[in-house]
Amino acid sequence: MNEGATNGVPMPDQVNILVIDDEQIMRDGSSRILSKDGWGVITAENGQLGLDVIKSRSEDIDVILLDLMMPGMSGMEVLDHIRPINPNLLVIVITGYATVESAVEAMKKGAYDFIPKPFTPDQLRIVVRRALEKRGLQKEAEFLRREREKSLRDIATEKSKVKTIINCMGDGVLVCDRDGCIVLTNPAAGRMLKVSEASLLGNFLSQCNLDSELSKTIDESLKAKDLSYFSVSQEFSIGQPEEISLRAHTAPVRGDLGETMGSVTVLQDISHLKELDKMKSEFIAMVAHELRAPIAAVEQQLTVILSRMAGDVSEKQEKLLARAKERTKGLLGLIKDLLDVSKIEAGRMVQYKEPLTLQEIIQKVVDLMRVEAENKKIDLQFPAPSQNPLIHADRTSMEGVFTNLISNSIKYTPEGGKVWVTLGEEGGFAKASVSDTGIGIKKDDLSRIFDKFYRVRTVETRQIVGTGLGLSIVKSIVDAHLGSISVESEEGGGTTLTVRLPKGSNPATC
Amino acid sequence: MAKKILIVDDDPDLVEAVTMILETKNYDVAAAYGGIEGLQKAKSENPDLIVLDVMMPDKDGYAVCKDLKADPALSKIPVLLLTAVISKISTTRYTQQMGMETEADDYIDKPVEPEVLVKRIEALLAK
Repeated sequence: MNEGATNGVPMPDQVNILVIDDEQIMRDGSSRILSKDGWGVITAENGQLGLDVIKSRSEDIDVILLDLMMPGMSGMEVLDHIRPINPNLLVIVITGYATVESAVEAMKKGAYDFIPKPFTPDQLRIVVRRALEKRGLQKEAEFLRREREKSLRDIATEKSKVKTIINCMGDGVLVCDRDGCIVLTNPAAGRMLKVSEASLLGNFLSQCNLDSELSKTIDESLKAKDLSYFSVSQEFSIGQPEEISLRAHTAPVRGDLGETMGSVTVLQDISHLKELDKMKSEFIAMVAHELRAPIAAVEQQLTVILSRMAGDVSEKQEKLLARAKERTKGLLGLIKDLLDVSKIEAGRMVQYKEPLTLQEIIQKVVDLMRVEAENKKIDLQFPAPSQNPLIHADRTSMEGVFTNLISNSIKYTPEGGKVWVTLGEEGGFAKASVSDTGIGIKKDDLSRIFDKFYRVRTVETRQIVGTGLGLSIVKSIVDAHLGSISVESEEGGGTTLTVRLPKGSNPATC
Repeated sequence: MAKKILIVDDDPDLVEAVTMILETKNYDVAAAYGGIEGLQKAKSENPDLIVLDVMMPDKDGYAVCKDLKADPALSKIPVLLLTAVISKISTTRYTQQMGMETEADDYIDKPVEPEVLVKRIEALLAK
């Protein structure tokens, strides 16, 4: 059986040769000679029988030995019939009267070779072997062709699989070639960008009327030569009146040599996330306001009683009421911090940047904190700086930053300690440090002090009122100004918090 | 004759507490429990100064203040704005966001220390 050839390499040993000859001697002789070489031999005693074998076993037969001179159907006629059955069948004609003409005619009809009668066994073997070699090549070519077809089919299947996956994705995909022509996209991208998929595919970015920020980013990623340019995320809104918020991640696609071949952009609809975030911030703000009003009223009442404006107060009553007032003050501080957080998160706190110097800000805060420091017998100092860099910042939130930092230092420094602020420049940054001789921060806590609601819990801090929001607010503000904040501290050895903010070089551009 | 001060705040407890402070200092006190009522009383009570809350449900302090300052008969009355939220941030934000300048004569944080309130009121009345 030759079926193996369809799945694997052709098997040359399973060779079958069909001998069609009316002469018994020729059939037997040929069979004898050929089977010695291990080839299978099938015989047919006339043209019609031969054709029947060919029809039923066309795949099995490799070579046909065909006598031209036969009674009934002649060899030439058989040749004529073989071609339509299988044009690849190799036919060697046996010519009884060795004329060149009949051989040529047979070759024209598609015979592969001829052998004149009488022939020696070796002559027969040579001719058959040559035909089999050809047959082997044929089979190999056939095998390779099938393999190629199969892999093409696999590729096509794989392609359609990938296409289906991309089309079903909830995220939008935009793939551009290096010229900025969109070569792949999906329905989600069209839906998010509010254009039809067809108007994207095959068009240049500039023609697609995309969000200008997005086009710019894709353009930049295509032009980026620097290999460190990797992925850019951006958020933008699209469409009216039903606005949707999108987040786009754009990354260049690079070849083996680092050359940019195109870009891939993945779009996500983040409208519901934005909505949730907004609701969360609004909820915090609402709760904080609702909490604040009654507590403020209570504190106001306590204040009036303590001022003896509502009658006399005994010493014991005063002690209790004073403590109650401390607690309401603590609560109001917490609410104020909560409001700050929701404001920063709502992106409202750092909106009005102006050119200013940190010296004026710090001086103002230091003056305000002086009473608090003196109450705790803490030496608060702000030596006049040699440099007074101009920055571009939101005045109120900057005051918030230094109020938080300095009041923290005062809070965590025992009586008789020292708190000092220094100001200077470092590179393109204004650098302000708030240092103290306080209780310091444990190594384990250092990395977390900027987290929301994180408070260092120790015996020393138990008595200190705080919300754990101060430094997280400070960090949010500094971040919003493209600055950085760092901490140096040793347990029991004081703390220094350093804020770096980019200098505003030219007030006119601020 | 004692000076008359109008307190406008939707929180009756706060009105009561502030009234006590002011009465201790021998001021005449009139109270209004909302922005609209505040405007009416500003006309009918003829106060020498108005202590005005910012966050009120019917008409907020900024709007009341704007109306007061736009009325020639009332524009001379000094207004002390009583802010419930962190004063500087909220007021400057608010005015910038609303695109309007409040013409209040002074701001003060709630809750307020009696001496501070009295000092600010005295300063405004002395002007």
